[in-house]
This record gives sequence, structure tokens and C-alpha cells, in this order.
Amino acid sequence: MHVTGALKIKKGQKGGGGLAEPALVRWLLIAVALAFLGLFLVVPLAAVFTQALDKGVDAYFAALREPDALSAIKLTLLTAAISVPLNLIFGVVAAWAISKFDFPGKSFLITLIDLPFSVSPVISGLIYVLLFGLQGWAGPWLSAHDIKILFAVPGIVLATIFVTFPFVARELIPLMEAQGKDEEEAAMVLGASGLQTFFRVTFPNIRWGVLYGVILCNARAMGEFGAVSVVSGHVRGYTNTIPLHVEILYNEYNYAAAFAVASLLALLALVTLVVKTVAEWKIQEETM
Amino acid sequence: MGGRKTRPYNNRVKGTDMSIEIVSVSKNFGQFAALDNVSLTVPSGELVALLGPSGSGKTTLLRIIAGLETPDGGKILFNGEEATDRHVRERQVGFVFQHYALFRHMTVFDNVAFGLTVKPRKERPGKAGIRDKVHELLRLIQLENLADRYPSQLSGGQRQRVALARALAVEPQVLLLDEPFGALDAKVRVELRRWLRRLHDEIHVTSVFVTHDQEEALEVADRIVVMNGGRIEQEGTPGEVYDRPATPFVFNFLGNVNLFHGRVHNGLARLGGMELASPEHAATTDSPAVGYVRSHDIEVERLPSDSSAVAAEVRHVHTVGPLVRVELLLSESGETVEAELSRDVADRLRLKTGETVFARPRKLKVFAGDYQI
Repeated sequence: MHVTGALKIKKGQKGGGGLAEPALVRWLLIAVALAFLGLFLVVPLAAVFTQALDKGVDAYFAALREPDALSAIKLTLLTAAISVPLNLIFGVVAAWAISKFDFPGKSFLITLIDLPFSVSPVISGLIYVLLFGLQGWAGPWLSAHDIKILFAVPGIVLATIFVTFPFVARELIPLMEAQGKDEEEAAMVLGASGLQTFFRVTFPNIRWGVLYGVILCNARAMGEFGAVSVVSGHVRGYTNTIPLHVEILYNEYNYAAAFAVASLLALLALVTLVVKTVAEWKIQEETM
Repeated sequence: MGGRKTRPYNNRVKGTDMSIEIVSVSKNFGQFAALDNVSLTVPSGELVALLGPSGSGKTTLLRIIAGLETPDGGKILFNGEEATDRHVRERQVGFVFQHYALFRHMTVFDNVAFGLTVKPRKERPGKAGIRDKVHELLRLIQLENLADRYPSQLSGGQRQRVALARALAVEPQVLLLDEPFGALDAKVRVELRRWLRRLHDEIHVTSVFVTHDQEEALEVADRIVVMNGGRIEQEGTPGEVYDRPATPFVFNFLGNVNLFHGRVHNGLARLGGMELASPEHAATTDSPAVGYVRSHDIEVERLPSDSSAVAAEVRHVHTVGPLVRVELLLSESGETVEAELSRDVADRLRLKTGETVFARPRKLKVFAGDYQI
């Protein structure tokens, strides 16, 4: 699009080509960008699918239907089903508070929301081991009451929530700040209640941003490896999520099965990419 | 615009009976005092302009009246009833924002209908009732054919009219407008403000609008409240404020003004080489003083007609539309003043750059003391 536009300008009017680089430079830049993209994104993606189908379609589906694989898929879906809605609610509330109100400690809250981004996921997992492990703070009390968090589903969910915490909020804060609070004020002056204002004015303005945030949050929740690996304990058929299952299969030299399961995550990535593109396009439309 | 007679405003009686009293209201933002003990009464049914430079507190005052901002001290009374703690949604005010604040994902129709659709079920008019009301208002703002458009498809002037219709839909007791024409280009601005004036003459709802444009305030308002630094400098009719400015600030803010520096002693002022009587300063003894003269109150003469005329050199002559602006250098004091002449007066004088003439202030106001503006 840009290239043809620039070419047209060059052909059509004499003075308009001030920003257009010589054709050679332009094509060189584009070629470099495409080569880079191909090498680091397209080739690996293609590799995942070729490897996955290496032993035929039957072997591919068998690897997905195997009980441990099914259990990993179920656990991953469950984890995402709990952590994404929670982070959606938190993200919207936090973004609303930060962008529409002034209060002391606001910048501290923003820093806090960013924390999971700046901490290595392995450390995030270790925090939960320190908290809930047998040697941890709450460990003895938990084991006395027979509550299992670490090396069980609750631990995996908690670690995932922590790691995916910033996605929705981070997406919404700049969007809501750009939109300002004029429309909300207008709604209130016209007699709308807080809930009416949110559902009829604020939410329609941010719905694409919310979708974008949720999609990113979900992709990370399903794909998280580090933090989940630390708290999971790798109990086959019980505490393995898809990424952990892929690792186990790979370590057992079961390449076809490993890539077959991995292809699920790759597909998720592709869907995420499409939704993200549409959402970005819609957001752009709405901030104008 | 607005030629047709419509009656979108059914509670005319209610609407004409709403005064606003502001009693010693103060508001600070951190260290900054946005409003400093401001008291003001807005009489029922009038169109009042809050006029001042940016940072003078006029928008803060408007937002406090609306309930969008809480004062740190003082009271707001609606019709003598305390309304300071009343929530913004219960104040029954219409508010028009500078940047329209239309709901961007709603059509023009839905925007105007919004205030009616969020009413509690008991008070909410039926679907047909809402539709009739909205169309009545769209007719009033002459945008009936654009009901299905989105705000982004409208021009600035159209958006502002939609914002006004949306505010009027709930039949507010008070209409508050924050720089309503500030974001529009000059021609639309003038058109729209005359239309607002005619609309107000029709519906008589007590209205307050904020502006930094003195021309706008002078043309539209019944009363003008001039604000500066969080305080009210002067309030009165446009004529009073323009002809009898109470402070140098008001003089300076409303219209082009020339300053003559000098001293005043026992009712006699010596300013920029001229000598004139200043009876209001009869009791002042030898004080610094500044004389304020509007540009159009300076007469340019070939021969001095009395002792108040001073010699001046013509520096520049600019013709600006129907007016001619003459820049004069006062020979004695070295001060520069600007005179505004009508075209035919200028044609008769045939001024040339460099020649010496006489400048005589027709009307001059002397403020004694060290005024800083």
C-alpha cells in the first residue's frame, strides 16, 4: 500500500516525492524486513506443522487423543477459563480507576500492574513455592488442613493469574486515557447512573481494546511455561498443561507427538494474530 | 438558522424560574487557588457569560455549578435551596462541553435520546414519546435529516448543536456551556452564537456560559462576569462592563486599550504629556497613575482642539477592513499608542507616515496607584 502510494506520488506530481526514497533503497529495506520475518517467524511456524504431520495425519490425531494429552488440554483450558475472566475484571476496574480518577498512589499502582512483565516467570513461580511450599510461610498451615495448592491445579491457576495480570489493564489504560472522561461526565450530567454510564458509554468505546487484551491474556495463559513449570510438579495426567506436556514428549524423543501438541499452541497464536489485527484496526477507528 | 418557531421546551414556566446563587466558593488544585472566595448570583432566565483569560477559574466555577467538581468551601444554591452536596445527576443541569463530548458510538438520534433513555422506568417516556421529543429537538437545531449520522460524520458546528440538543432533551433547570464555540472556526462561531442568543430568547432557561472571547460575551450575554486569578473583577451588563470598567484588568481585557503613564495630584492628572482634570482623584496627592483609553476613543487631529491633545508622530497606518489603525509615537513621553479611526475619518485626514499630528483622548479613565496587569 505504502509503496504504491509513494510511487504514484512520484509519477503524478513533481514536488510530492520529497519523502520517497530511491527505489533501490526502498526495495532493499522491504526485502530485509521480509527476510527477517520469514527466517524468525514463518520458517519455525512451518517447521512445527511439518514435524507434527511427519508421521501422517493419523499419528497427529492419535498424539492429540492420547489420555495425557487430553488431560493437558483440559487443564490448560480450565486454567485459562479461570484466569482470563478474573484478569478481565481486574484489568477493566484498574484501567477505569487509573484513567478516570485522580488519587494518591496512582503511579505506584501502574508500576505494580507492570510487575509481572518485569519479573522472570520462573521467579513468579518460585514466589508461590516460597508462599505455599512445605517450607514456605503458609505451607505448614495448609498441609495441616489438607489443602493442596502447590503441585496441584490451584497453584497452576494462581501462577497463571499472576503472569497474565497486566495484559488487559495495560491495553486499556492508554486507550481510556486517550478517550478522556468527557463522555462519562456528559452521561452523568444527563442523569445516567454509574452502571448505565459504564455499560452504555464506556464499554462500547473500549470493547475492541478489551477483546485485544483478552486475546493476548488468553494466549499467554495457555502458553505460559516458566511459572507453571515451577509450581506444577509435572505429574502426568494431573498437573501438566500443554506447554509442559510438549516438553515431556520432546524430552522423550517423541518428536512427532511433541510437535503435534505444539501445533495447537501455534494455531492459537495464528488466531490471536488475526483477532489482534482486527481489534487494532477497530481501536484506531474509535480513538479518532 | 433557528428562524422557525418551535416549542421543544414544555416546562417553560419551570424553566424560567431558576436562580443560581454562589456563596463564597473556593477551590484549590494542590497549591493553585482556582477559585478564591467567589460569590455570584445568576438571576433566573438570564444568559450570563463568565469571561476571563485561561486559568482565571471560570471553567472551574461552571463545573462546580454543574456538580462535576466539589468546592473546598462555600455553597451553591438553586432557587434558594442548598444544592452543594446534590449529586451531578440530580442537579438537572444541561452541560455543553467545549469538545462536544458526544457519544462517539451512537448516532445523532441516540445521542439526543440518551438523557431520556437513562431515566428510571417510571419517569421514562415511551418509545414514541422519546422519538417525538428527539425529532422536535433535531428540528430546533435544524439537523433533522442527519439523525442517523455518527458524530465523526458531522462538522464542528453541527456537533456542537447536537450537544446542545442532547443537553436540552432532559429539560434542564439550568444550561451550562463550557467555551461552547471555542473549537469552531471564526465564521461558524459568530453564526452559532447568534443562534444561541435567539434560542435563549425563545426558551429562557437560566444559562451560564464560559468564554475567553470578549466579543462573544459582549454580543450574546445579558450579564458579564469578568474573572481573573480566581476572583470576580466585575459583573454587570455588557454596556456597564465595557463603558465603566471597574479595574484596569477589565479595561485591558475588554477591547483594545492604550496606556498613558504619569502622575495624579489633587484632581489633576499629567499623563504622557497631557494635562487633564480627574475629579475622582481630587483627594489623591502626588501618586503614580495610569490613564486608560480605548483605541477608538482617541481622536487624531491636525490642530489641537484643547489642552488634552498632545503632539504625536504617525508611525504606521494599517487599513483593517472598515477600520484604520494608526500607530502614534507621543513626542513628549515617547509612548506608543494606537488609534482606531473609521475609514471616512482617515480618508479626510490623509495621514502620512512620519508627519506630526495631535492625539486627543475623548474618554479616559485614570487609575491611581501602581497597577500591574
